[in-house]
Amino acid sequence: MMTQILFALPMATIVIGALVLMLLSHSRKFTMQRLNILTVFFLLISLAVQLMIIGEHSSTFLFQDIFGDSFILDDFASIFDLMFTVGAILTLLINNDYFKSRRYFSGEYFALILFSVFGMMMLSHAHELVSAFIALEIASLSIYALVGYHKNNKVSSEAMMKYMVLGSMTGAFFILGTALIYGVVSSTSLTEISMYVANHELQELTLLIVGSSFIMVTIMFKIGAVPFHSWIVDVYHGAPYPITMFMASTFKIAIFAIALRLYLVNFAPINSFWSELLQIITVFTLIGGSWLAINQKLVKRMLAGSSIVHSGYLLIALSSLGLGSEVAAPAIMFYLIAYFLSAVGSFGILSFIASQSKKQMSYDDFKGFAQKRPYMAIMMSIFMLSLAGFPSTIGFLGKFYIFTSAIESGQLLLAGLGILTAFISVYYYFKLIAVMYFYSSDAAEKKFPLNISTIVIAIMALLVIWGGIGTSLIPFIPGADGFIDIAKQAIISII
Amino acid sequence: MMDNILSILIFLPLFTAVLLGLFRAELKYLKIGAMFSSVAILLLVTWTAYNFDPDAGMQFVKHAPWIQNSGMSYFVGLDYLSLLILLLISFLMPPLYIYMYHENRKGYWYNMMLLQTGVTGAILSLDLVLFYLFWEMMLLPIFIMIGKYGNGMHQYNAMKIILMTILGSMSMLFSIMYIGYIYFDTVGMWSFALTDLATLSFNAKTSIWLTAGFLLAFVIKIPLVGFHTWMAPAYGSSPTPAVVIMSAIMAKLGIYGIWRFGFDLFETTLVYYAPTIITLALIGLLYYAIRAITEDNLRKMFAYSSGSHLSLIALGLFLTNLYAWSGSLYFIATHAMASAGMFIMIGLTYKRFKTVQISALGGIASKAPKFTFFFSFFALCIAGLPGTGGFVAELLIIIGAFKANFWIGVLTATTMLSAMMYIFWMLQRTLFGKANNDTQYKDLSLREVIMLLPLAILLLATGIMPSLFTPIFEPQLTASLQEVLNIIGGLK
Repeated sequence: MMTQILFALPMATIVIGALVLMLLSHSRKFTMQRLNILTVFFLLISLAVQLMIIGEHSSTFLFQDIFGDSFILDDFASIFDLMFTVGAILTLLINNDYFKSRRYFSGEYFALILFSVFGMMMLSHAHELVSAFIALEIASLSIYALVGYHKNNKVSSEAMMKYMVLGSMTGAFFILGTALIYGVVSSTSLTEISMYVANHELQELTLLIVGSSFIMVTIMFKIGAVPFHSWIVDVYHGAPYPITMFMASTFKIAIFAIALRLYLVNFAPINSFWSELLQIITVFTLIGGSWLAINQKLVKRMLAGSSIVHSGYLLIALSSLGLGSEVAAPAIMFYLIAYFLSAVGSFGILSFIASQSKKQMSYDDFKGFAQKRPYMAIMMSIFMLSLAGFPSTIGFLGKFYIFTSAIESGQLLLAGLGILTAFISVYYYFKLIAVMYFYSSDAAEKKFPLNISTIVIAIMALLVIWGGIGTSLIPFIPGADGFIDIAKQAIISII
Repeated sequence: MMDNILSILIFLPLFTAVLLGLFRAELKYLKIGAMFSSVAILLLVTWTAYNFDPDAGMQFVKHAPWIQNSGMSYFVGLDYLSLLILLLISFLMPPLYIYMYHENRKGYWYNMMLLQTGVTGAILSLDLVLFYLFWEMMLLPIFIMIGKYGNGMHQYNAMKIILMTILGSMSMLFSIMYIGYIYFDTVGMWSFALTDLATLSFNAKTSIWLTAGFLLAFVIKIPLVGFHTWMAPAYGSSPTPAVVIMSAIMAKLGIYGIWRFGFDLFETTLVYYAPTIITLALIGLLYYAIRAITEDNLRKMFAYSSGSHLSLIALGLFLTNLYAWSGSLYFIATHAMASAGMFIMIGLTYKRFKTVQISALGGIASKAPKFTFFFSFFALCIAGLPGTGGFVAELLIIIGAFKANFWIGVLTATTMLSAMMYIFWMLQRTLFGKANNDTQYKDLSLREVIMLLPLAILLLATGIMPSLFTPIFEPQLTASLQEVLNIIGGLK
């Protein structure tokens, strides 16, 4: 029992933290700054506990006598938990300046962030469809609220309405799919479902396939794959920077956590049925995302569009996974980390600039940026290079793993298309570098502001470089490929 | 020292640049630092060349694990081919820094140092992924330099060059990954080291696609005709140091890539591609020459001239006989020095007259004799005047072409003729005739003479006494050609 409580402690800490913050948020003593520090403190406690228990256990169900096998604790879930926690911490630290500069933030904001982290953690632990849905909704509802956090801003409110209406509708698909699956299997536990799938011929599974396709719709919507992408650019644009950052990186990781688990455990035998569908979606996602990203004038919208393309790369790996590639699952996890670092970094710089001025930040606003803020420009270039998959950054390795997984599973055309879209992405990422460096400005050079936000961004820039060239030559520091080993371990733990 | 020397050569400029950048060094120290690193490298390279054993194969090899999971390794080594280009780049950097003596924009200096690291790394790496890393890395400084310090439509042209070359590198990346996968499939582990991959044998269809991926990257870089649309605009609008490196070194890296990776991995498939490449190269010879004759902008004119000569080198490479190969190798060296000298002269012309349009120049000869001497000397070297290195190299390639096929030989021989045409006509219009502007005609200063003299002396030496240099390169060249011929011959 004690160990069970210990295992649940990371999640419990987050919920307690959220509740405490909700209570404290109306006290006048607590400024935004202090609340932020308190939130990070709760996250850090959770992180410490997670680090303590990771790797010390084989897969166990959490409180099996109460919840049955709804929640599982394995390396896979633990590693994703780590990512969410670290992601939330980084988001909060990077946006420290932004919170101070915008008056509309209040204490609930932090509670909502913690609730959504809690939802994501539940999602990665979920081993049963209804709990997965509840977890997904906890995370989503918090994020709906966060997107529309700037109440007086029309764009923000519009974004929230758009996201909430569409999101709830696709959420309904999840429930519908679950109902259909329950109708066939008479259980919603993943173990039961996978046993049922294993023991039956593909022809007997029609209803189950329909049901799981409905679940797929929800997942595709949340990651912004192309037929379900219409919300993404507007929502990313309308949301305040910290939320955009949080959605683009951390929330996306959470969705892939459940997608990977479903794929790897549950529906493995019927993956072959989906692979074609998934390939078609991938093609649309890659092309459509590139099209959206090319045509944007605002950098934030460009990043939103390009996040669709990055989902496309991940889908390539997902469909390779279905076709039996061994490196695909670790590749997805590695790519999520790579994308996380570069996206959070670039959004972080945008939010830093936004905290200094109220500009919309189109490409043109970056003219002469390299002269005004040379260090910031270098870091932004590093993030752009990483997003474009330029070698010597972590983004290159991420793409490398993704494409080799596609080649391994025989999807040469898909890999080729991926490379082609990576080439197109060079255009819109290098455009920003070009704008920053090619134009001179009259403004004098500003000093590099040393505060939490900028230091964290700088660390991330170094991590991006380290992730790309980190080598096993230098002793005591793990190389870039260290993470792949961890990811492989995690994948083994669920199979 | 022996097995780390290459790593030092690669990373010294980068290290210097990062160090200077972190301390936000003042311009004076920046210049000293750059100059120091380039001179140090020149000395180290001389030492390396002195210790180079002409009869042994790959030397100074360093093979260390890098990203182990996917078999990427840090694998560098030196043989006759990389030694040649290594000598060239390290020999060119100090004169370029002297040329940039008055340059006050700091970014210039940083970019040049990064460029040296990129180029040196690309020619020394024997691991495909490592090669790809440096291949891409050397693009960035060029991109920034054209875009920031160029002239004309430089921002547009910078974007154009980077997009076109990255299109090539992306296709190469695909091939690299696929080769890695084939190795994984047959051996059971990942590796991208050239020595490992050379043991593979591919089936014909795969090999054709893989080679196409590599060739696209190299052919764009050279560029052969049809892939050349970036060339003239980029050369035309880049600042002098960048254009020197581009024409003298980076274009040669396309050749180098085919030579190193093409002939190591896909000898037999290259035979399949040879007719196409030879045709393109022949068309290129003539097309570029005609464009050069009609061009009024000196930079673009020599861009086309450079394209024409690089087509000749590519031609020689694909003819695969000893004359053509030694000619190509020799031409890489002499053309690099001659075109570097020429583009420096064009840069000096621009500094003096603020124009590089031939129609706006004229009458320099009577006012500035030293300038005229060097200008015409480098121009004649490019034309391949007997007594200069270019002549020896072109002659060898032409002999090789005649050996392969009479008509190819005839067409190849026209290159000398057309080069003479545009060079002499250009000299007549720029240096002689009446002066059409009132600008002051400053002759070369001592600093400028010092920077040009070594290049000129080397060019003369390569022309008059080729036997001075050939022993270093010949044994390995013959051996590797023999190896290629064995495989191709076995096919026939």
